Amino acid sequence: MESTMPDLDLKDIQGLIVRGYGKLEVACYILLEIQDGEATRRWLVTLADQITSAETRPTHTSLNVAFTNASLVALGLDAETLATFPNEFTEGMTSERRRIILGDHGENAPGKWVWGGPETPPVHILLMLFAVDEPTLERFSESVSHGFSSGGVTQIGETLTSTLLRDAQTGYSKEHFGFNDAISQPLIEGIGKSGSPANTVKAGEFILGYPNEYDLLTERPTVRAQRDPQGLLPEHPSESGAHDIGSNGSYLVFRQLYQDVGRFWQFLDDVTRDANGNSDPEAQVRLAAKMVGRWPSGAPLVRTAEHDNPELGLENDFGYRDMDSLGHRCPLGAHIRRTNPRDALDPHLGPQKTLAINNRHRILRRGRAYGQPVSASMRIEDIMHADTSGDRGLHFICFNANISRQFEFVQQTWINNPKFAGLYEDTDPLIGDRASREIRQPSVFTEQAMPVRRRVTNLPQVVDVRGGAYFFMPGIRAVRYLGSLKPAPHDIPLPPDAGRMP
Amino acid sequence: MTHQVALTVLAKIKPGETENLKDLLRIVGADVEKNEIFPFVQLSSVHFARFVILDEAKNVHNQSIRPSLVFASNVDAPLGDHLTELVTHTGEGLDRIYSHCEGYPGPGQRTPSSRLNYLRAHMVPSQAFYVNTLGRTLEQVHQEAKLRDSLEGILDRQQAEHDWSGWDARRVRAAIQGFIKEQPDLRWAERPAAGLTFGWRLKERIRFFLTLLVLLVLIPVFLLVLPIWLALLRYHEKKDAAEESHLQLSSQTRGTLALHEDHLVQNQFSAVGNVKPGWFRALTVRGLLWALNFGFRHIFNRGILTGVDTIHFAQWIMIDEGQRILFLSNYDGSLESYMDDFINKVARGLNAVFSNGVGYPKTNWLVLEGANDEQAFKAFLYKHQIPTQAWYTAYGWLTARNIDNNAKVRAGLYGEKEEQDAAMWLQRL
Repeated sequence: MESTMPDLDLKDIQGLIVRGYGKLEVACYILLEIQDGEATRRWLVTLADQITSAETRPTHTSLNVAFTNASLVALGLDAETLATFPNEFTEGMTSERRRIILGDHGENAPGKWVWGGPETPPVHILLMLFAVDEPTLERFSESVSHGFSSGGVTQIGETLTSTLLRDAQTGYSKEHFGFNDAISQPLIEGIGKSGSPANTVKAGEFILGYPNEYDLLTERPTVRAQRDPQGLLPEHPSESGAHDIGSNGSYLVFRQLYQDVGRFWQFLDDVTRDANGNSDPEAQVRLAAKMVGRWPSGAPLVRTAEHDNPELGLENDFGYRDMDSLGHRCPLGAHIRRTNPRDALDPHLGPQKTLAINNRHRILRRGRAYGQPVSASMRIEDIMHADTSGDRGLHFICFNANISRQFEFVQQTWINNPKFAGLYEDTDPLIGDRASREIRQPSVFTEQAMPVRRRVTNLPQVVDVRGGAYFFMPGIRAVRYLGSLKPAPHDIPLPPDAGRMP
Repeated sequence: MTHQVALTVLAKIKPGETENLKDLLRIVGADVEKNEIFPFVQLSSVHFARFVILDEAKNVHNQSIRPSLVFASNVDAPLGDHLTELVTHTGEGLDRIYSHCEGYPGPGQRTPSSRLNYLRAHMVPSQAFYVNTLGRTLEQVHQEAKLRDSLEGILDRQQAEHDWSGWDARRVRAAIQGFIKEQPDLRWAERPAAGLTFGWRLKERIRFFLTLLVLLVLIPVFLLVLPIWLALLRYHEKKDAAEESHLQLSSQTRGTLALHEDHLVQNQFSAVGNVKPGWFRALTVRGLLWALNFGFRHIFNRGILTGVDTIHFAQWIMIDEGQRILFLSNYDGSLESYMDDFINKVARGLNAVFSNGVGYPKTNWLVLEGANDEQAFKAFLYKHQIPTQAWYTAYGWLTARNIDNNAKVRAGLYGEKEEQDAAMWLQRL
């Protein structure tokens, strides 16, 4: 089944899916709860006109919007249509089954979340605002939130803000522990710049309605034609009598991840002290780099195993199989080797086949850091010794067409799997599950080496999940359709938390 | 030492007793190792075992198939020893469980031998049985896991005191050997694993070649039949494709089934489905399962099945006079990754067998398409998966890959090694 490269309907696709708005340096995320479905529908009709599509490259402001299953219920989408959404979206991130898959227990248990958990108000709509600078964002968010009360929505908690962390010298994006971040992104076939085929993924992996890496169309929700009398949605290309509410949409995974910067560097300090009990900053950075798989500059260990090399800071065109099959350079369980194993995923298969399988589990990351950095300079030496009080971390956001096969798979089979790559008791050294009951010590980090491995045990948990939800980011036409719904009386289900798992 | 065998016992449940039996098995399943009814730890040769209830179902002619209870275990041979343990060590548990089934000896007549007769009378053969690594006994798996843990402990302690980074591999290995020698409970590691006996391997080898010879002789017959079979196959595939609707993954709600899977390390899978009606499918599926079993028994018995190294044991069992197939497996990792392995690595083999089942995604030439329709295939598996009431594993913290690595650690611990080989052996730690 050969498929030609599809023409993407950029006018209908929301912009954040195809670009991260790097020029729009500030962003905020607003979580909304629907109080009055009818008012919200009216509000959505006007909001739809403000959504930034993939067609434009915004230079000033940008707005995108996504919906939880509970919001679709509250907006009056009929049960028959709701049943065509995938189970993981319908259940939501905090269902019993999803918690098992995601490893959300212990410190990460949804009961402790500040939003999206069972103890906090139901999350319905996610508004994502981006702007070129703080004053612009402030004005923009004020004008948007102006419509909330007449739009029948209330804001949940505080606005989630973001911070752009930059390397003072190179200007590259950083995360709070002090490493360059957001280097490896799959390229979407047919959009923007082209790159290595190994890192180019079919649009259907991220946008519904286009062929995926199996050369198939990922299942997507549909609406019975009678339920779309105004014909706002296109006809479904293969199912007769159905209209296409899914095409040009995507599933958005949001996780607020708190980073305990102090605990991270304290642990590294404790386990790398020299024979006299003195701190060894070089050894700390070295071990941290082994855990990440890249040096603070972003340079991959596969390319430069012994010391950092900022010239390789954006290097992303590499594999593991030929240079490092044993993990002597980049450990088998390092964060970047787990989250994207590249050609090392399955040594039994050829590199091409391995990469093809690997690319069925990619996600498109669009998150941003939040909270003040522990050191404005973002230099590792300063971060190590800084005062680390305060709330900071990552608003992790990713897009995928199939939450089970992509985001959840990466989380369960790669990040939290102690048996990844033939290991025994290791989970991801940065974000791995430390509270599993099934593994005796799920907190080992093994550094493969000559003549024999070294390992550190009792890794602390340095990243906590503080909130999260699964959203559907519809195409812009589908947002208009949601605004146009005229539910029959028996279709209106409310109360507002309907659809949430108990 | 010994090879591995599968025991499968299938008994019809008495009318109206299914729910009572489920309640009982729920107690067993809640603490499968040490529950008071049927404590699996008392069975010394069991790698994996399960109780599965097949609920009342309809066959392809819409006739009712009565509910039954399946007990399935994967054990070290000889089977007789396992059966003896079952009827003695867990005899009272068998009584409590099978008193809900038809034909079980009455309360006054329950003795080890009457239980044994009952089990033997209800045993059903596996048409195909996959063993990850033939000849690796339960004792060996446990011993070698312990050895590996000891070695890692030694390394941790030694490395905390000295820096070994300048040492050559042979020196490190010699140091490790020295520490292990000091542990009397690890003396067994000085001998190689027993493995399969020469006599058994010889017998298997002879069987393999004789079978090949027979197949060779039959080639003219195959060639004669092949065009007819292919024509029939294409006819059936077209007919089936027209009849079947596309399965939607979103419509397969999983309910409580899902909560009993996705353990972190190992999981089980039980599924049952109807074979498509007619003699053609019945014959085809039997032929394929025979071929599959031949491959499992003689070729794919050393840890890896065309790229899949995560399956410990798997069984295909034809039940109800060949009307249905029961599939049971014990595998590593998440269900999602297991299904992806099916699709990415063994789709053709699965298509060949499962395409004879009702509702399977459309195939072409028996092995093409089918599982390649990713979501329809997953929906098919979800649709046919059934709850396993009680599941036991004797080494739930080990993957097949761990077990294989442990065996190689043990195999390479002693004996002369060149520097290069010693270095590669150390990489297993």
